[in-house]
Amino acid sequence: MAAENGDTIDTQFEIVTPENIAFQYRLAGPFQRLPAYIIDVLIQVVAVVAGYLGLLLFFGMLRVPFIGVGLGLVLYFAVSWFYTGLFEALWNGQTPGKRLMRLRTISADGQPIGPAQAILRNVLRMADCQPLYLYQVGLWVAACNRRYARLGDLVCGTMVVIEEPQYRSTALVVTEPEALRLAELIPANFRVPRDMALALSSYVLRRRALPWNRRVQIARHLAEPLRMRFGLPPQTSYDMLLCAMYHRVFFASTPGQQAAVTRPVASGEIAVALGVTPFAEGAEVNAPALASAPNVLPTSVGPPSERPAEVVVAS
Amino acid sequence: MKVVALLDQRRENWRELETLCTRFEGRRRSKVEAETSVHFAALYRGACADLALADAYHLPPNTVNYLHQLVGRAHNQLYRSQGFNVANWFDEIFDRLPRRLYRDGFLRLAFVLFWGFFLASMYLGYASNGFAESVVGEDELRSMEEMHVDSTQGRDMEAGLAMVGYYIWNNAGIGLWCFAFGLFFGVGGIFITISNAVGLGTVFGHMATLSTETDFFNFVTAHGPFELTGIVVMSGAGMRLGFSIVATGGYTRGESLRRAGRESFPTIILGTLLFFGAAVIEGLISPSTLPYWTKALVATASSALLVFYFVLLGQRPGD
Repeated sequence: MAAENGDTIDTQFEIVTPENIAFQYRLAGPFQRLPAYIIDVLIQVVAVVAGYLGLLLFFGMLRVPFIGVGLGLVLYFAVSWFYTGLFEALWNGQTPGKRLMRLRTISADGQPIGPAQAILRNVLRMADCQPLYLYQVGLWVAACNRRYARLGDLVCGTMVVIEEPQYRSTALVVTEPEALRLAELIPANFRVPRDMALALSSYVLRRRALPWNRRVQIARHLAEPLRMRFGLPPQTSYDMLLCAMYHRVFFASTPGQQAAVTRPVASGEIAVALGVTPFAEGAEVNAPALASAPNVLPTSVGPPSERPAEVVVAS
Repeated sequence: MKVVALLDQRRENWRELETLCTRFEGRRRSKVEAETSVHFAALYRGACADLALADAYHLPPNTVNYLHQLVGRAHNQLYRSQGFNVANWFDEIFDRLPRRLYRDGFLRLAFVLFWGFFLASMYLGYASNGFAESVVGEDELRSMEEMHVDSTQGRDMEAGLAMVGYYIWNNAGIGLWCFAFGLFFGVGGIFITISNAVGLGTVFGHMATLSTETDFFNFVTAHGPFELTGIVVMSGAGMRLGFSIVATGGYTRGESLRRAGRESFPTIILGTLLFFGAAVIEGLISPSTLPYWTKALVATASSALLVFYFVLLGQRPGD
């Protein structure tokens, strides 16, 4: 079911389901996996040392300390060879280190890994970590294939992917009054083509991470022709114009109607769609009019000015 | 239709699918009722359709990302691989595995290499002066001689159990190491097999030359069959894995490697079990003061078990 990557970005891996839908995973490279590995090694060391001391103490009190030594060695064997494998088998592809670093091992066809895959790929770690636990073999093998698979991954048909942070199902809201004002000036008969809509939403999602002059630099390419076409004054902010376009495409139900700010009904509606991307949390969504819970009925919503400014995460 | 309205309309579905995913991820599938499964499948298809139409709907990228993640999660629940099944594994280890191993050319190769080099270096260690010293090293030999002066004078139960733990850690670890090294195009496996065989064979030969009596042969008799077979099995599995990159049998290299990997897993379980058995015998029976014929009996019995497994279970016609 795994599809060739085609023209996607090379850290994404596409899976085609029987429903003929392609969804993407983000692959984890060696240097995303290294911190998880170090955490796991530390946990193993602590587990072996603590377990060994505990066993010594327990069997020492029973006056048979050497049984403690023997069991300690069995524990050492089990942990050093099977710790990662057993965790990945039981925790659906995650070890404690991977869970902390938000990584997960899955099959190359997108399914969760089975216990045999989990254990085998970690036994073969011994080949990958050569020479001298420097992981040169694993690193070079991973560099030579598309899935960043080390030898153990190649044998088991597995890959390590990055668990996406919880994306929300909602769109980002533009609240700048300037943008809302500009949105009204855009002619009603202007139709936004699909790729422009995509470019607009990509821009609005990322603009907060950009400094002001960078925004201008990027936005100018699209905003300048638009400004000319709409006949807006030359001092119009490119950044705000694109926000206005975005608002027009995604929110305003009819051009010229400022749904977001003026009507309580609409403000409830907008708040549902609030601020909910990884970029947006907490930023610029503090306009009082937008701060209502998603499922608050319009009748219970007071005038905008009475409600405290807060960020509502719609989920 | 504007995006916000669309999102409002679809969000209920997505949220419900997410809740079900969380539920399914947390527990065994068998406990999920039929209606829930059917409903889940419907929700999943809905999310798939939304993702397919994301472009046409003008969905913003973050929503598309969300949908990718949601569909991926649901897909993993719907098309889950089989979990661990004890009955299946029993069949695998005692039915399919011996038949496979009986016909496994790499196991034979490992067997021939191991025993060939073992016997040859045993002869050299016995007949040629200085061979053992140059292969194993003087100090190593002396400490082994010392160790085996009275290695069968009995230990108490406690020390015996401690040694069982030591042998599991050391020997089973070496076995897994042999397996993993086979991955280097099989050459690694050949190297490890030969170096183990030469090392062990030389010590055997050298111990026979000593004028003073040692307990060496008394000590190694009982656990020998399991331990040496364990090494051969592990090395063979490793070689098979490594050579599958070269001799693909008509598959792509990657697919050939994955097939060999799937087949090798039960073998390493078998190998580890053999090492466990050997460790128990080595820790408790080998060093004991039991008369030699009991140890020979243990060796005979374990050899008979191995013949039963590899030959009698193995030669049955395959499916």
